[in-house]
Amino acid sequence: MAHDLLRFLNPHRSPVTAARCTIKDGRAPSFYLYYSREEIFLLSERVISGGGRILLPSLLPCCVFVQSCAFFSVDYSIVSGRRLEVRMQMFRWGFRSLCRSRTAGSGVYSFNGFLPVASRGAHLGRKPAEVPSKSSRGVHDIRYQIDQDRKSAAEESVDPFALVSDELSIIGNRLRSMVVSEVPKLASAAEYFFKIGAEGKRFRPTVLLLMASALSMPTPESVAAEVASSFEKNMRTRQQCIAEITEMIHVASLLHDDVLDDADTRRGIGSLNFVMGNKLSVLAGDFLLSRACVALASLKNTEVVSLLATVVEHLVTGETMQMSANAEQRHSMEYYMLKTYYKTASLISNSCKAIALLAGQTTEVAMHAYNYGRNLGLAFQLIDDVLDFTGTTTSLGKGSLSDIRHGIITAPILFAKEEFPELQSIIDKGFSNPANVEAALDYLGKSKGIERTRALAVEHANSAIEAINALPKSDDEAVITSRRALVDLTHKVINRTK
Amino acid sequence: MQMLRWGFRSLCRSRTVGSDAYSLKIFLPVASLGAPLSQIPAEVLSKVRNYREYHFQSSHGLHDIRYQIDQDKIPAAKEPVDPFALVSDELSIIANRLQSMVVSKVPKLASAAEYFFKVGAEGKKFRPTVLLLMASALSMPTPTSIAVEVASSFQKNMRTRQQRVAEITEMIHVASLLHDDVLDGADTRRGIGSLNFVMGNKLAVLAGDFLLSRACVALASLKNTEVVSLLATAVGHLVTGETMQMTTNAEQCHSMEYYLSKSYYKTASLISNSCKAIALLAGQTTEVALHAYSYGRHLGLAFQLIDDVLDFVGTTASLGKGSLSDIRHGIITAPILFAKEEFPELQAVIDKGFDNPANIEAALDYLGKSQGIERTRALAIEHANQAIAAINALPESDSEDVLIFRRALVDLSHMVITRSK
Repeated sequence: MAHDLLRFLNPHRSPVTAARCTIKDGRAPSFYLYYSREEIFLLSERVISGGGRILLPSLLPCCVFVQSCAFFSVDYSIVSGRRLEVRMQMFRWGFRSLCRSRTAGSGVYSFNGFLPVASRGAHLGRKPAEVPSKSSRGVHDIRYQIDQDRKSAAEESVDPFALVSDELSIIGNRLRSMVVSEVPKLASAAEYFFKIGAEGKRFRPTVLLLMASALSMPTPESVAAEVASSFEKNMRTRQQCIAEITEMIHVASLLHDDVLDDADTRRGIGSLNFVMGNKLSVLAGDFLLSRACVALASLKNTEVVSLLATVVEHLVTGETMQMSANAEQRHSMEYYMLKTYYKTASLISNSCKAIALLAGQTTEVAMHAYNYGRNLGLAFQLIDDVLDFTGTTTSLGKGSLSDIRHGIITAPILFAKEEFPELQSIIDKGFSNPANVEAALDYLGKSKGIERTRALAVEHANSAIEAINALPKSDDEAVITSRRALVDLTHKVINRTK
Repeated sequence: MQMLRWGFRSLCRSRTVGSDAYSLKIFLPVASLGAPLSQIPAEVLSKVRNYREYHFQSSHGLHDIRYQIDQDKIPAAKEPVDPFALVSDELSIIANRLQSMVVSKVPKLASAAEYFFKVGAEGKKFRPTVLLLMASALSMPTPTSIAVEVASSFQKNMRTRQQRVAEITEMIHVASLLHDDVLDGADTRRGIGSLNFVMGNKLAVLAGDFLLSRACVALASLKNTEVVSLLATAVGHLVTGETMQMTTNAEQCHSMEYYLSKSYYKTASLISNSCKAIALLAGQTTEVALHAYSYGRHLGLAFQLIDDVLDFVGTTASLGKGSLSDIRHGIITAPILFAKEEFPELQAVIDKGFDNPANIEAALDYLGKSQGIERTRALAIEHANQAIAAINALPESDSEDVLIFRRALVDLSHMVITRSK
């Protein structure tokens, strides 16, 4: 099958060194063709490196398949200058008709290989593909049919992380190359948390990539296809850059925080200061920050630079607020929420806003993106506080009850204190004594602290969903899916157990 | 001093004329001794050296002297101006602005952040001086066609932006000092207790981060992404240099190239990149910006080399930090590296490490016997000359002010060489 498909996708009969096909559940089948580097150059004029969505009729002059081409959209991308990656996304209807036409033996291309996938056809419906607006009228009917299919399909939720996992690995590779340094020790320190296995949940890049997809605007019809797609690809790369910068700033703050807190573990492995010492951790954090600034400058958008520079300041302010709160401030819910905004939500919210600005959206839309990020971040932190009491060591990656043991008063305790004023004196005594910790946990259990915190988190999650719903309407399938994924993400944040 | 005998006689003749501000009496005892300078005690040597460059600049009779070039190019300014005095007003404006920029709502952070910006702890304010002088030296005349009010407000705006670069540079510098002191466990800095000594490591790390973040915000407000890129690169270089210093293995320790590269990263990169940023903000071409960069780079390297020399020959009172601190921390600097070329046995001494004071004594012994100090000074002078060449390569200007400032930059490079603290 691969052979036939090769010929289909390789009209110039360029020598292909290898071919591979992967079919994963719930994803459209992907075909990978490996070309020699010289061939890549030859193909480059018809391939947009980095990815692009090109409809076959406009690209490949395969007459035999013109009719069936309506069922495909093909992504071409050149990966590391060597591999031409072709991903075919098919409509379910097209797929079924393909299978039907299999026996008709249309053209040189056979689809024997699709049969196993066809039997898993239900899964394909999860990935609604772009409808080619330029093709025959028959397809317009298909679109409505697809909508019906999609509606039934959309009841099954999409895994937000899966939607962007490919892009995340591209970003992960780019991040590793961005933190390279000629000084070996610095290089190994800087990339410590970007290595595979130590990347964390990559929550922030996921949010940002989904937001980028959710805000993409359709290109006007008048613009030529190649120009439009290269413009979109450029914009996408810039938005991916924001995700990388955000992750670098985040890791830099983690490195410094671990030094300040004398933490031993982070993300399930030893913290950098534990492994390589405080000095190298401080230096590595500074280094990551400087690399993030250089990358930020390369975007040549001063408003975005401003937004993310503010984030850096907020991170520091939040950490200081936590470190140096006096007694009165430690008992105040407003102080706590402000500190939480600075420490957690500011990064997500401002980078969402930056994504929106890079997407060319209006200030109003950018504010919605900002609100989504802010509420999501606050909900995330509130649940994090709850899990610090209710989670386990293995699931959290860091020790449970770590907040209270460090003397950090979080929302559940603050809520419990409202019900049990005597908790105030326990807090004042400090928590170096384990017996005191036990006493506080006792009150917490009797109170509604945990429940009220969860309720507040749900409130913020709902505000986040409202912000998504306030985004301007779009008919684009991909946009709707991404927005749905962002909504699902808020649910995941609330419901996670680790 | 190398003089033509003819020149020397003319010097003696002009002594009685008293043509310039500098008295030549100090030269007479030396002249009568007639002995090679290298045998003259160090105090006289330093005094002579203090006067040497100034003297050479003001006399026409000495053809062999390299500084003659400056004399021809800048005929108007015969008496040197104190570079620091030229910009002292602006410096105090900048200092005030800096103090207001590091204000924070959180009191502890505020007191930590402004620790080194308080009056008395500001240090020599060397970098802002260089940058302000560079800004004036690069100012281009406004075309006469533009209305006066527009021209002056435009220039004032440009000046404010350049001052902002100076502030940002100083914030980045202090942030790196704070972090370095934490990393080195230093007790004193700029003649007072270091921040980590006074307020603890954590607050010092946080304060450094805070200053960096304020610098980032200020950078962003300039709305010039190339400048952001330059200064962010400088921060990365600072870290790289500090890491290079921290983690050298035996082979790299002993390499002069490694040492110069590390010095560039640690000291010169900030000055050079901010000079380049000043040039870009002044609207100059890339070529001129590169000259500015070159000046900063050579000045920074000369500064660091003399700093290394002073670490051996200076005193506690004059340096603000303990003398011999580099070698006590096991940091091998240029004088030792040069001495090692003459006395290979010094290698073994270095390898033993410097925890033992006796070992330090041994190394100093070799250093005294060798030409290490002199060669380091010579290298510093070479860099200073290249810095001066960069200034001379700037486009011609008829404005008196510009010439004065360029002259001041030249004088600054002299002061870097001849300073004793």
